[in-house]
Amino acid sequence: MATGALIRTSTGPRPMNTDARFLTLMQWLSPAFPVGGFAYSHGLETAIAEGRVASGADVEDWLRDILRDGTGRSDAIWLGLAHQAGSTEALTALDAQARAFCAARERLREGERQGAAFVRTVNAVWSLDLPPILLPLAVGSAAGQVGIDRRMAAMAYLQSFVSSLVSAALRLAPLGQTEGQRIVAALAPDCATLSELAETATEDDIHSNAFLSDIMAMRHETLEPRLFQS
Amino acid sequence: MDGQPELVTDRAAPVQPRSVGTLDLVTKRRDALSVIDRFRTSGSMKTLFPLTGTTLEAIMINTSGGLTGGDRFDVTAGVGEGSTLTLTTQAAERAYRAVSGRAQVRSRMDVAPGGRLNWLPQELILFQGCALDRRLEIDLAPGAELLMVEPVIFGRRAMDERLDRIGFTDRIAIRRAGRPLYLDTISLEGDAGALMARPALGAGAGAMACVVFVSEMAEGLLARCRTLLGAAGGASLVQPDTLVLRLLAEDGFELRRSLVPILETLGGARLPKSWSL
Repeated sequence: MATGALIRTSTGPRPMNTDARFLTLMQWLSPAFPVGGFAYSHGLETAIAEGRVASGADVEDWLRDILRDGTGRSDAIWLGLAHQAGSTEALTALDAQARAFCAARERLREGERQGAAFVRTVNAVWSLDLPPILLPLAVGSAAGQVGIDRRMAAMAYLQSFVSSLVSAALRLAPLGQTEGQRIVAALAPDCATLSELAETATEDDIHSNAFLSDIMAMRHETLEPRLFQS
Repeated sequence: MDGQPELVTDRAAPVQPRSVGTLDLVTKRRDALSVIDRFRTSGSMKTLFPLTGTTLEAIMINTSGGLTGGDRFDVTAGVGEGSTLTLTTQAAERAYRAVSGRAQVRSRMDVAPGGRLNWLPQELILFQGCALDRRLEIDLAPGAELLMVEPVIFGRRAMDERLDRIGFTDRIAIRRAGRPLYLDTISLEGDAGALMARPALGAGAGAMACVVFVSEMAEGLLARCRTLLGAAGGASLVQPDTLVLRLLAEDGFELRRSLVPILETLGGARLPKSWSL
């Protein structure tokens, strides 16, 4: 793994214009991008199995909590910090902290596996040189290197996180596609507001109060039967 | 409070003098015993050393009776090579209504190779209007063991106390050989009652505990712990030797029903006597 400066000049990312940056961000955060996001429910599978989340309104409430007081909030901050990390050392130090903040084993694996897959693909296609790191950090660092605005990246990242969990909910609970999209739309203002943290927050602002979300992630380890890896 | 009189005890009444207390304690191993190597205490912090077996137990007592704005408590402890230190409290700690400023509680511990720290304070009870920042930092050497708990009670259920104006930040940072091993920060500002009512936060729970166990025995005790969790608790082995548990309960009494057997399982011993007094 290379150390030192992340920006490679000769073979590194080519400068992009605004349209290209927007389309690159869309591509990275599309469900078709091969990070395997469809395999994770972030503890939602347990919450549905235990009857804590049953209706569309419940899914919306649960996801809003995760956004405002849990992973969504923290991920926006990690993404912003990684975006500004000036060296591989700084990035891996952030990654070590983000890993230690993972409240459950499957939480860690979810970020780790998706991060590794994201890094493999962007390194190959965009000639980046990212180390294997957790997904929000990988997206933040990659965005920084190709010149994608960090707030824009965080906003799109949060919405793709929400969309992925809504898709999981549709497979687990009797909800229709339209209801799913209503939930994603209802949570868009939260994604927009929280993305500001990617510009302003520091490591000291990381916190999580989503205790039951964490507990559901822990209890997922012994949930039978299960469709998802988290 | 919708025109109702505030359910705050006299002890939380308007002006309280600022309390400061420190504890500095270092242990070492002498033959089969863990003994005091250095001990200093000051201000509103007193310490008792009950006679126990081969380990050293210290009971911390906040003689000011609680925490309020402007208070400052510092605990530093060093667990020497091969020794075991158990730190606990004489009773539940109370964070009372603060008129101005925030109470600061800082605890910083180092555990040497082969040492073991049992950080087992009793509950922290948050009262309406409290303002508290806590920071617990534990540095483990390779091969050091840790059992820690932080139980928190959100207001007094029996008195129907609402917590809609509080400030509470609680940071836990456990590092091993300088690298972060487990980090957790809780930040409940403002209407903590409404926050704790949210489905993915507390779903109405009135008490909560976080437990971290770092030991070669962690993996072997995971299955046993899972049987003791109750309806709203989780356990996960986040590293091969690091077990983390999060428990939520209706109130402090229900919390203890699952927490005490879990701590006794992980500790391999009864809890300090002060827990049952």
